[in-house]
Amino acid sequence: MTASSDRAGRLVANRVLLTLWVAALLASALLPFAAMAPNRLVSGEAIKLIVALTTWQSAGLALLALLLALAALSRPLSATQGLRLTLVVAPLTLLLTLYALGDYAGRALAEASPAARVSQGAAFWVLVFCTLLMIVDAFQRLRAPLWVGGAYGLALVAAIAGLFASGQFNALSILNEYFNIQDAFADQLLTHLRLVGLALAPALAIGLPLGLLAHRRPALRGSLFGTLNFFQTIPSIALFALLVAPLSALGDSFPLLRELGVKGIGAAPAIIALIMYSLLPVVRNTHAGFAGVAPATLEAARGMGMTRRQVLWRVEIPLALPVILSGLRIVTVQAIGLTVVAALIGAGGLGAFVFQGLGQYAIDLVLLGAVPTIALAVVADFLLQILVAISRPAGGR
Amino acid sequence: MIELQGLTKTYAGKNVVEDISLRVESGEFGVLIGPSGCGKSTTLRMINQLIPLSRGRILLGDEDVSRLKPEQLRRRMGYAIQSIGLFPHWTVAENIAVVPNLLKWPRARVDARIDELMNLFHLEAGEYRDKYPHQLSGGQAQRVGVARALAADPEVLLMDEPFGAVDPLTREVLQNEMLRVHEQTRKTIVFVTHDMDEALKLASKVAILNQGRLVQYDRPIELLVDPADGFVSDFIGKADLGLKLLSRRWVDQYCRPPCLERDSGAGRHSWEVDADGRPLALHGGRLSDDGEARTAVNGEWIATPEMTMKEALSRMVWFRVMVLPVIDQAGKLIGEVTMEGVMGRQP
Repeated sequence: MTASSDRAGRLVANRVLLTLWVAALLASALLPFAAMAPNRLVSGEAIKLIVALTTWQSAGLALLALLLALAALSRPLSATQGLRLTLVVAPLTLLLTLYALGDYAGRALAEASPAARVSQGAAFWVLVFCTLLMIVDAFQRLRAPLWVGGAYGLALVAAIAGLFASGQFNALSILNEYFNIQDAFADQLLTHLRLVGLALAPALAIGLPLGLLAHRRPALRGSLFGTLNFFQTIPSIALFALLVAPLSALGDSFPLLRELGVKGIGAAPAIIALIMYSLLPVVRNTHAGFAGVAPATLEAARGMGMTRRQVLWRVEIPLALPVILSGLRIVTVQAIGLTVVAALIGAGGLGAFVFQGLGQYAIDLVLLGAVPTIALAVVADFLLQILVAISRPAGGR
Repeated sequence: MIELQGLTKTYAGKNVVEDISLRVESGEFGVLIGPSGCGKSTTLRMINQLIPLSRGRILLGDEDVSRLKPEQLRRRMGYAIQSIGLFPHWTVAENIAVVPNLLKWPRARVDARIDELMNLFHLEAGEYRDKYPHQLSGGQAQRVGVARALAADPEVLLMDEPFGAVDPLTREVLQNEMLRVHEQTRKTIVFVTHDMDEALKLASKVAILNQGRLVQYDRPIELLVDPADGFVSDFIGKADLGLKLLSRRWVDQYCRPPCLERDSGAGRHSWEVDADGRPLALHGGRLSDDGEARTAVNGEWIATPEMTMKEALSRMVWFRVMVLPVIDQAGKLIGEVTMEGVMGRQP
């Protein structure tokens, strides 16, 4: 067994890539690439990849697949060469997949009724996710600097945006859906971002001092973390619902508060719930950041004659910052996701499309809420990752 | 000059430091030593008010330090600790500049001071100025730690087992550097250690503490020849390592030119030699001596270049002299080794 796995290990340089490759191939062969439906509400007829693609597209995809297989093997390319080849071929595969779907939709609808819709199928999603994972994996293995990954990501996003702008996808069902709600989409996107911002700012304003307090007063730590932990265990829908009753009572008894927007449904309970969820990671990471500063460093700082305030601002905060920002990264991504649920209590945001779509059984509308949410989370995560990297003391710790 | 008067620290009704009075004169190298838990670090940390004192008084020059704000006081005292505590997010230069920056020195003066200190500790400024602490070896980091403590030219330098965490070889190098730096700067130093070799090597005066009390405060030589009580002699006895160390060193490493000029005065000595340059007698050079006593040289109390320092030291103690003649094979006086030299101190 050892011998055979050794041999396999020698032949296959990148098992992750090979696994993704096999998954993509199986999905392309077995699952529908697109679906063709006579109208918006019925589920359509499954179209296989081989049927959807033109000859040159099939040939191109086959060629790219061969190159990816080559990149996964240990010969004739070196490991680094294989990874670089992946970084060239995987995005091309992704772009060709996207292009082919749009192209198919255009061709199919040209000879169909105006109500007919073409939407993406399971094989399409598998191809997209597999190629994206190949790219992420290759970057992690190459240990490329963050800015290289950022530039690469930007270029890829620009290429996809170019496809969108050229109208390549206009025939797709999801784009039809988008054109129907274009104005509402921009509004809800802004509402989503506003909710996240309005929740994170107070969460930081409360959480950072609490984290410092937890560090300075160990006696308080247990009960503080216990309370915050308790919030974290309440399911989000339950927490949103729980807040409706007290807030509507509050709004009813104090008209001034009501004018400020405090009422049972809408933004107020959503923001309060998001703050409650965000507090634990902020407080815990702030505490961990301060606790991670070496006692010797603090003793030296005091012994050198720094005042308490100077020790805090010049030594403790700079050294704790990477950990604190990691906490911010966690809560930002978490808040972007949780805000989707907040649409249930009328707070708006991209979640509105998700629940609207679920209600109408219009999957494209659901995707229109879900996909931008994921994109927001990924972008926020990446930006904060850069911030964390910048905040690290130069030369590492 | 720094003076402790009846310094006492009480924790939960128990005196961990009790009524310690001692005085480190300007330019002196004072060492506090004792077994763990004897209160030596507590005493040191009371001097710069990292620990508030329960009773007693500390004078810096003729100022009572309790009248000063702790931060102001600490900026006038250098502080170096065993774990060094360099700021990991600052370069070597920024670390050294901490106190000058707190005192708001002009930039040019700070820069000049950084270069001066790096030079003093033989750290190539071009190479190390912009390095971060994690890029330094233990010895280099400790040099930066001491340089940082000296940065604002403090009146007193407090050092809490600064060389306790480095390997023995590096420790010796750092000790020698410390001696050189002390020689050059003539700082008043209060130095805490648990290592008797280190204390004997560095100190002008050693304070031996036990269970929070000061047992003896004397010059190293006096500790050796005249221990105050059983505890001190036991404690020095435990420092057998020092003798082992000296058994690996040779007289020629410590030998210096002999003093032949008759120059009477306390603490001075000179050699009387015959026509062939053979030593006949020593004038002065005995413990608590007015410089006049004449001691005839005999075959027993001489040293040769290839003799171990342990043996030379043993002869000095046995014959109660502070200096031994070093002779070559022809019996000619070629140099001398002194008690101060054994301690690493040249008088």
